[in-house]
Amino acid sequence: MSDVTQKAPKRSLFAPDARTQKRNRAEKRFQYYGMAAVGVGIFALIVLLTSILGSGLSSFRQTYISFPVDLLAERIDPEGNRNPAEMAAVTTFGYMPLLAMSFQAHLEAEGIEHEMGARELAAMLSDDAPAQIRDRVLANPDLVGTTIDVQILVGGRIDGFFKGRVTMASAERDRNVSPAQLVLAQVLADRGDVVTRFNWDFITAPDASGQRPEAAGLGVAIIGSFYMMLVVLALAPPIGVAASIYLEEFAAKNRFTDLIEVNISNLAAVPSIVFGILGLAVFINFMEFNQSSPLVGGLVLTLMTLPTIIITTRASLRAVPPSIRQAALGLGASRMQSVFHHVLPLAMPGILTGTIIGLAQALGETAPLLLIGMVAFVREYPDLMSTHSNSFPLMGDGATALPVQVYSWTQRADPAFVERASGAIIVLLVFLVVMNAIAILLRRRFERRW
Amino acid sequence: MKDLNEMSQTDQESAVDVLKMQARGVDVFYGAGGRTGSAAGMAADLAADKNVTHAIKGVDVDIADKTVTAFIGPSGCGKSTFLRVLNRMNDTIEGCRVTGKVTLEGEDIYDPNVDPVQLRAKVGMVFQKPNPFPKSIFDNVAYGPRIHGLSSNKADLADIVERSLRRAAIWNEVKDRLDAPGTGLSGGQQQRLCIARAVATSPEVLLMDEPCSSLDPIATAQVEELIDDLRSRYSVVIVTHSMQQAARVSQKTAFFHLGNLVEFGDTDKIFTNPSDPRTESYITGRIG
Amino acid sequence: MLSILTAIVVLGGLGFFLGRQRAIASAGGDARILHSLPVYYGTNVALLTVVPAVLVLGVWLIVQPMVIAGAAIDLIPEQGVTQAGSRDLVMSDVRRLADGINTGVERGAFTAAEAASLDTATTDIRAVLADVGVALGTDVEPAILAAAQRSRQMSDTASTWMQVIVLGLAVAGLTYAWLRTNKDLRARNTVERAILGLLITASTLAILTTVGIVLSMVWESANFFQLYRWQDFFFGLEWRPSFEGGSELGLIPLLWGTIYISLIALLVAVPIGLFAAIYMAEYASRRVRSVAKPLIEVLAGIPTIVYGLFALITVGPLLRDYFAAPLGLGTSSSSVMTAGIVMGIMLIPFVSSLSDDIINAVPQSLRDGSYGLGATQSETVKQVVLPAALPGIVGAILLAASRAIGETMIVVLGAGAAARLDLNPFEAMTTVTVKIVGQLTGDTDFSSPEALVAFALGLTLFAITLCLNIFALVIVRKYREQYE
Repeated sequence: MSDVTQKAPKRSLFAPDARTQKRNRAEKRFQYYGMAAVGVGIFALIVLLTSILGSGLSSFRQTYISFPVDLLAERIDPEGNRNPAEMAAVTTFGYMPLLAMSFQAHLEAEGIEHEMGARELAAMLSDDAPAQIRDRVLANPDLVGTTIDVQILVGGRIDGFFKGRVTMASAERDRNVSPAQLVLAQVLADRGDVVTRFNWDFITAPDASGQRPEAAGLGVAIIGSFYMMLVVLALAPPIGVAASIYLEEFAAKNRFTDLIEVNISNLAAVPSIVFGILGLAVFINFMEFNQSSPLVGGLVLTLMTLPTIIITTRASLRAVPPSIRQAALGLGASRMQSVFHHVLPLAMPGILTGTIIGLAQALGETAPLLLIGMVAFVREYPDLMSTHSNSFPLMGDGATALPVQVYSWTQRADPAFVERASGAIIVLLVFLVVMNAIAILLRRRFERRW
Repeated sequence: MKDLNEMSQTDQESAVDVLKMQARGVDVFYGAGGRTGSAAGMAADLAADKNVTHAIKGVDVDIADKTVTAFIGPSGCGKSTFLRVLNRMNDTIEGCRVTGKVTLEGEDIYDPNVDPVQLRAKVGMVFQKPNPFPKSIFDNVAYGPRIHGLSSNKADLADIVERSLRRAAIWNEVKDRLDAPGTGLSGGQQQRLCIARAVATSPEVLLMDEPCSSLDPIATAQVEELIDDLRSRYSVVIVTHSMQQAARVSQKTAFFHLGNLVEFGDTDKIFTNPSDPRTESYITGRIG
Repeated sequence: MLSILTAIVVLGGLGFFLGRQRAIASAGGDARILHSLPVYYGTNVALLTVVPAVLVLGVWLIVQPMVIAGAAIDLIPEQGVTQAGSRDLVMSDVRRLADGINTGVERGAFTAAEAASLDTATTDIRAVLADVGVALGTDVEPAILAAAQRSRQMSDTASTWMQVIVLGLAVAGLTYAWLRTNKDLRARNTVERAILGLLITASTLAILTTVGIVLSMVWESANFFQLYRWQDFFFGLEWRPSFEGGSELGLIPLLWGTIYISLIALLVAVPIGLFAAIYMAEYASRRVRSVAKPLIEVLAGIPTIVYGLFALITVGPLLRDYFAAPLGLGTSSSSVMTAGIVMGIMLIPFVSSLSDDIINAVPQSLRDGSYGLGATQSETVKQVVLPAALPGIVGAILLAASRAIGETMIVVLGAGAAARLDLNPFEAMTTVTVKIVGQLTGDTDFSSPEALVAFALGLTLFAITLCLNIFALVIVRKYREQYE
């Protein structure tokens, strides 16, 4: 009789054999792989965030220069009657020389040495500065003829110099900035005439053209995103919850409901750009809504968000124990009443959480919005009620959206827009963090275990 | 070895007294978190902590070789927990701490130098629910020998698999379909496959955690018969819910109640003449 | 439009109060003998007032332009249509002119009577309209003007009729429902049936969306394949669109870029995601898990545009300066590798959380069985848990692949725009999604093959991801059922 035990010699537990040692080493190795994988994931997250924060935080600060400006009446109000309507005929080009002259005069008055011509000197100021002065004058015609102290934007390269993006060495090679300008800027900064400070305009101002990154802001994009979120919020949760209630509480198991189920899970995984194509073909080409309007963007994002909301809502409806339904039915309530009076309120926290997560997803979505024209350059703040007569009355004005603005800025030549794009992402991430924090709070506050 | 086997078959009563495992003052705590400390001090600490569940309280048991020892008691009395103490399966549960001394042939199995992997190769286990791996019948049985490197070649491995399946009294039923998935067998066959799987690593002690509780009466009878067979080679410890089963298959019985070992002794004595009133109440069906 | 809707809503509100009142009156003021709560009677009347009217209004608004367009196009001679290119283009001219004239009337360029008798011979309509801020593309042809005038006239008449019919319907509904209201009417049942109808409609929106996606893409793709041979599209090895005509629009280089980038992304995401999931599910203590798991899942909540920018400003230059340039493999910062690695990072949480769920669904008894035989944890994972979880994990990987193939922003910013059939991963290549964006962004002429090809690309993308999704969903669902 041969016995299995005979083949394995008796071994003490305290004497690990070579094979066991090898196995244990493999075990350790395997565990390290796992730790390494988790580490790589977290490391990637940290690198991603530091890279964005590192290149974007500076966009919240901007460099300004202060000097007195003579608002010469003959230049900006040729008619001489302080009528804003007539003064509006003087474009920003009329204000540019004014600023340049005042700047030069200021330097002379203060006895600051420099070796630059008038043109090179004027190039230090932002192209957007004349517009700022013009807006101020048109708002208050009494300023004409006086001398006002202004604080205006400097050009993007000078700003970059104070943020470390532009150096003397790089200025040598750059057509848009000269070392002499930087030297002067440093002198003015030491005097306190040039300061770098927090810049609200980055959040509130509209986009600016490719030549003046220093003036570009997120105002239009934030409003556009906000309108789209309003559309999504108004449409997606009611429709999503209604669909979930039907599927979870009323639908019989049959081909039709199966088809809906398959559709929902598939739509949740369809590439977002496909929704963009849908929006383009249906809302813009077929229904003829305005291109780049937040309404269309919101509709597309609603369709995208629906699957997410439906899936989470169904999960939270399923989590309500059947005993609640039976209790309501037992008291003589109809099925509809038991659902709307008892199940739905109990599932509310879960539904809210799902909605916020869906909204956050929609807020960061970019690709479909590119196709429905939200990349357009828009400087006018969109109104809630459309100003164009031939568009849908609500949210029909052109706008951009936060993530799309990021994309547009990355497509511009001036490297200063990289800083702007990263800054825009920080704003976007702040919104997302707030939304997710609310979702987590809701879950913590209302989570119920049955 | 051969002589020993023959002797055990001819004279089982004398073999009963060969001591295989011994447990002294074993305490088990759940929810202890990552606490460590000196064994003696920790037991007292943990016992005093209200957030910690004291699952086993100072249990002493001797497991004899070539004997079936049964652990009985009402649900939640700690009998399964104690079974898992014997091959350190509790190590896989987070926050579970074991104090006291458990030895296998005189060696402390909770010594820090002991590798639980080696221990479990010697102290095999069969679980309540048949849990064949989602692999072929052959691979299920070959799993243990493969990981422990018990076979030198393929033929050898096939040999071990066949022997183990024969020993688990299932060979004739599956010999034609060793490549079929183990999950396709009936419940009783699955459980015998799991026993074959445990036997294949040639353990010295076989732990069985309610091995028949999810089987029908016919399958139960087959497994019980098998357990009686296995006694000739291994020391078997079985946790069971059914007192009849304990009486049928075991020589020694331990009665657990609320984490305490109430009574431990010869099965005949426990069932006919228990010394503790609680044992009597349980056996006569008054508590349980 | 708005006024008519408001009128309907007001009528509905009125109906609600009247219905409620009548119900209570029919019960002699004692609400307890009513069949349903008074609210239901009110709602019942309101529903019958609003729903039919709104439905008719909706249908009318869809059908009216079609009918008018059909009538107006008859006025345009056959050769006028062929000249302009297509019916659609002519009709959009007609519509623009009609809208322009209406705006002109609104802004006082001419009176309504003058507008009705406009003549291309006597008035330069384009100039007049330009004065009031309506820009027309070309001078107005008499045939177009005639068509525009007819369509204006018809829509005036139609609008009047629409108002009469819709409001009449609302009033009729109100009256009928109000008359039927009495204490025995099963108002609640009617209202609940209406609500159920609403719920069903909401849930069919998922189907409608799919149908919308498929139809819109199939329609435009069909137009594309009339202008461009489908063999050349599906098997073409060159992608060289040019808006002067003679474009080469071959799918193969785009598909190659897509697959190559997705492959690299999966090579990054699958091992890392899988090992991370194994570590979280099998090894990590609760403390570590409670920190690491949310951190990794944060990666899933970050919008893809952020990853795109990360690829553009950090990963791309890094790879170029430290790998591609020293190895002499290229000087482009946007490359297959850049996009692939960043996309891989994006997919890590996707793979890990799906795998984590799936690994956790493997019953503990299998692990116990393995430990009980003296297997180490890694042996248990490799030989028992993973084989048991394999179908689910394959499903998760397929879903991740579908994500990778459909991902847009990362490749737009990280992969480049050059369509190329190449093996060098440090070379810029492009993908299907990049080209969809490229061909449809900006001013596009929807009758040119260069724009329409985007729909064919979209259809291809949809078909591929649909297959992957359904396949993955079936596998995952089967797997879940196995352990439930």
